[in-house]
Amino acid sequence: MTTTADQTGRLGRRRATTLPRAALPASFGQALVWLIVVVLVVGPFLPLLYASVRSKPYYLPGGVFTLGAYQTLFADPLFWHAVQNTVWFALTTTVLAVAGGVTFAILCGRTNMPGGRFYGPLLLAPVVIPPLGLIVGWVAIYGQSGYLTGLVGRNLHLPVWNLSSIPGMSVLGAAVALPIAYLTCRASLAGTDSALEDAARSAGATPGQVIRRITLPMLRPAILNSTVLIFALSLEVLGIPLFLGTPTNIDFYASYLYKSWNSGATPDPPSVAAGAVLLLIAVSVLLLIRARLAGSEQRFAATSSGAGATRRPLDLGRWRWPLSAGTGACVAIASIIPLAGLVVMSGVRALTTLVAPWHLLTAANWHQVVSDVTFRRAMSNSLIIAGGGGALTVLLVVVATLVAHRSGFVLRRSLAPALVYPRAVPGIVLGIGFFWAYLMFSPGAFVRNNLWGELIALCVRNLTLAYVVIYPSLMRISTEFDRAARASGAGWWTIARRILLPALRPAMLAAFVLMFVTLLSDYDPVVFLQKPGTEIAGVTMLQYWQRGVVGPVAALAVVQVLIVAVVLALGARSQERSTCLRSAWNTWPNRSGPSASLTM
Amino acid sequence: MEHLAKSFGPVRVLDDVSFTVKDKEFVTLLGPSGCGKTTTLMSIAGFQTPDAGVITCGDEAFYDSGTRINRPAERRNLGIVFQSYAIWPHMTVAGNVGFPLKIRKMGKRAISERVTEVLDLVEMGEHAGRYPHELSGGQQQRVALARAIACSPGVLLLDEPFSSLDAKLRERARAWLKDLQHSLGVSTVFVTHDQDEALSMSDRIMVMDSGRILRSGTPEEIYREPGSRFVAEFLGQCNFLTGRLARAADGTHRLITPEFPDGIVVRSNEPSAEATIAVRPEDIVVTESPVRHDGPEPAVLDVSYLGDHYQYRFAVGDIQLIALSSHRLGTGAIQLHIPPDVATFVG
Repeated sequence: MTTTADQTGRLGRRRATTLPRAALPASFGQALVWLIVVVLVVGPFLPLLYASVRSKPYYLPGGVFTLGAYQTLFADPLFWHAVQNTVWFALTTTVLAVAGGVTFAILCGRTNMPGGRFYGPLLLAPVVIPPLGLIVGWVAIYGQSGYLTGLVGRNLHLPVWNLSSIPGMSVLGAAVALPIAYLTCRASLAGTDSALEDAARSAGATPGQVIRRITLPMLRPAILNSTVLIFALSLEVLGIPLFLGTPTNIDFYASYLYKSWNSGATPDPPSVAAGAVLLLIAVSVLLLIRARLAGSEQRFAATSSGAGATRRPLDLGRWRWPLSAGTGACVAIASIIPLAGLVVMSGVRALTTLVAPWHLLTAANWHQVVSDVTFRRAMSNSLIIAGGGGALTVLLVVVATLVAHRSGFVLRRSLAPALVYPRAVPGIVLGIGFFWAYLMFSPGAFVRNNLWGELIALCVRNLTLAYVVIYPSLMRISTEFDRAARASGAGWWTIARRILLPALRPAMLAAFVLMFVTLLSDYDPVVFLQKPGTEIAGVTMLQYWQRGVVGPVAALAVVQVLIVAVVLALGARSQERSTCLRSAWNTWPNRSGPSASLTM
Repeated sequence: MEHLAKSFGPVRVLDDVSFTVKDKEFVTLLGPSGCGKTTTLMSIAGFQTPDAGVITCGDEAFYDSGTRINRPAERRNLGIVFQSYAIWPHMTVAGNVGFPLKIRKMGKRAISERVTEVLDLVEMGEHAGRYPHELSGGQQQRVALARAIACSPGVLLLDEPFSSLDAKLRERARAWLKDLQHSLGVSTVFVTHDQDEALSMSDRIMVMDSGRILRSGTPEEIYREPGSRFVAEFLGQCNFLTGRLARAADGTHRLITPEFPDGIVVRSNEPSAEATIAVRPEDIVVTESPVRHDGPEPAVLDVSYLGDHYQYRFAVGDIQLIALSSHRLGTGAIQLHIPPDVATFVG
């Protein structure tokens, strides 16, 4: 008995004396991570603001502080035209996308509609399909000389739509934005107890009444939330007006800025900077409103108090099959048919209803993609950015997330907003900001004319995506794991490295897959940074399209789609393998993470 | 309910369940989780469709697998209180309680009168304008109950309504709910896994396990004569003794076990080779006396102080027995005695 006590006593003493001492306090590393994130996120905005209040661009000698750039902007009738178009587009897009997203979320999540589970991922397809690929596909099928437009107008002599009008572009915008509303509402539905609906039914309400009086009102916060978000994102759309609006001379805010920057005759950098500042303010105000709304709707969160939340779908009765067919048609129109159109377009000389596609088959488009130096360089640059940039971003974000939520660092609370904000900033604004930042600060010279500059801009713009994947996973890991490690003598970095990072591995992989897919096809922050030699796929497609090179652009888009599909499939497979690990960590009581809407 | 059956894949959740709830009766379905009690309740409510069987309420058929009748949940006129209460967060207390009346297209005045009446009944009158998140758990439960009884349902269904209340509140809510049910005179089906709730509130208890009803009867009947080892164990603590049944010289039936060679007097008419009896701890008489009996001497294994009594665990021969004593026992010899007729046979 005495020997055991003595042994444990000695063991305890020895352990106490051999505790490793950190060479630097943990807070130094934490401060460094904080500084990197804040410089990257805030960095581009100060030069942008500065550039907008100078009379001459930074690189020209002289110049004074003035609001002249804003005055020039406000005096331009084209600017006001673009503002008007943008607001109309954003309103229509928002109404269509939210209505569609809510409808499909309820149909797939709460009813016995056949195929609901099958449609779920398909409805999300527009999020992962490279945006320019989707636009090209839509143009190929529904554009003014599109295949279906021709079929309906020329062959069937029916009135046709005009995809290049504001309502037409809104339909495409809604198809792209619909997943945001769908995801937000699905998440909200998944978090509420279906007993709330059962209670209404046993109170005598029919399934229709239940949806109208219980399900929809309870979705109100999610609907409001996604409405504001979609509206804000619609204000900054660049690809749609550039691809679709050019033939009808319809400009939106972002395309107006893009064109005034690129117009060789009278380039006016200060007024472009001023326009970017105004857009930034508008979007930021909208997102502040959204954050407020989310806070004031707290009472909706206090829904399920007990355990045993069960899922019992609402019976649609005889509407089951018609609604399923309607949902299928929407999915087909939004993504499947345009994707098919994209693939066909990459393999033919022209896509037309006058001649059967197999008479126009050609390998020329693909040949150009393979042989053209610019295309090849653009693709390899995009892959480098997606792979390398994605990995670096995930590493930075995971450490920053740990500092923000699992450390005692003094300024930790400012990190979470800094990690969320970049995605809310219009890509084109961020691009202009980085342009000025690289120009004004001397370290910027190292990255100004090479791929690093573009990589940084794209990664900063999308680091929010990594955060919204990693943060909820971290919140599911109980802080008792940290405390247990701490009690065993581990310091902050050891806990991060040995306890939390291994537990976050599945989330990091998911974040990397999402980053890779997005970085491969994102383009708007780079339109002002790209130089010959540092082309990336998206911008190259944009430039070739404007020169009328259609087929090879479609082929390049198909390459993007294929790479995205392969990466997503690989990611899904390794996610499956790591599910066991994750479920072992997730046995701890869940805490609520940020809403899925942040993903956008 | 007659011959109700339901399977989820290969698992039979309901296996030939039949019972009748009489008018104004308070019936409890008691059992461990996964025994099928909630499935039974949800089948009555219409949220789950059984594979076979018949459910009728009065002369109305709710479900009949033979004639393919399956009345939708909204046309069964039942009141149901869910485990989570399921109070709609976007409506006030009055809005929640008035919803069933609104659906029935009652006039505004009639609705507000009835809502006031029902809320007063559950003592929530002054909270009519509040939102659910401003209420405590106990208050939410009252609102859920008020909503369930607002349109005078044919049957009241309660799905573990006390599970999210703390122990003290639970006791009060129990007495209050029983009184309310009594004064309303509504037939009630109550689902719980808590034996105290079942014993204190029910007119009749049905103990379920693996989708079957094992035992049905008044609380006293079930407690005193559980009929099976599972029921005996589920309702409170129980000692089990296995031995040979014999007829003694004085005409009584006795169970002879190694621990009690003198035999335990039981009610029986048929001697058999081997039988098991259940004896509640409170029925075993513990005495401190040096008088030696036949059989092994009980040795104290441990003791727990439970406020109004002590609970002892004894080793007697090869088995352990639990018995209660009103005072702490000394260190001397101990005698355990099982009085006549307290033991009951279990299968």
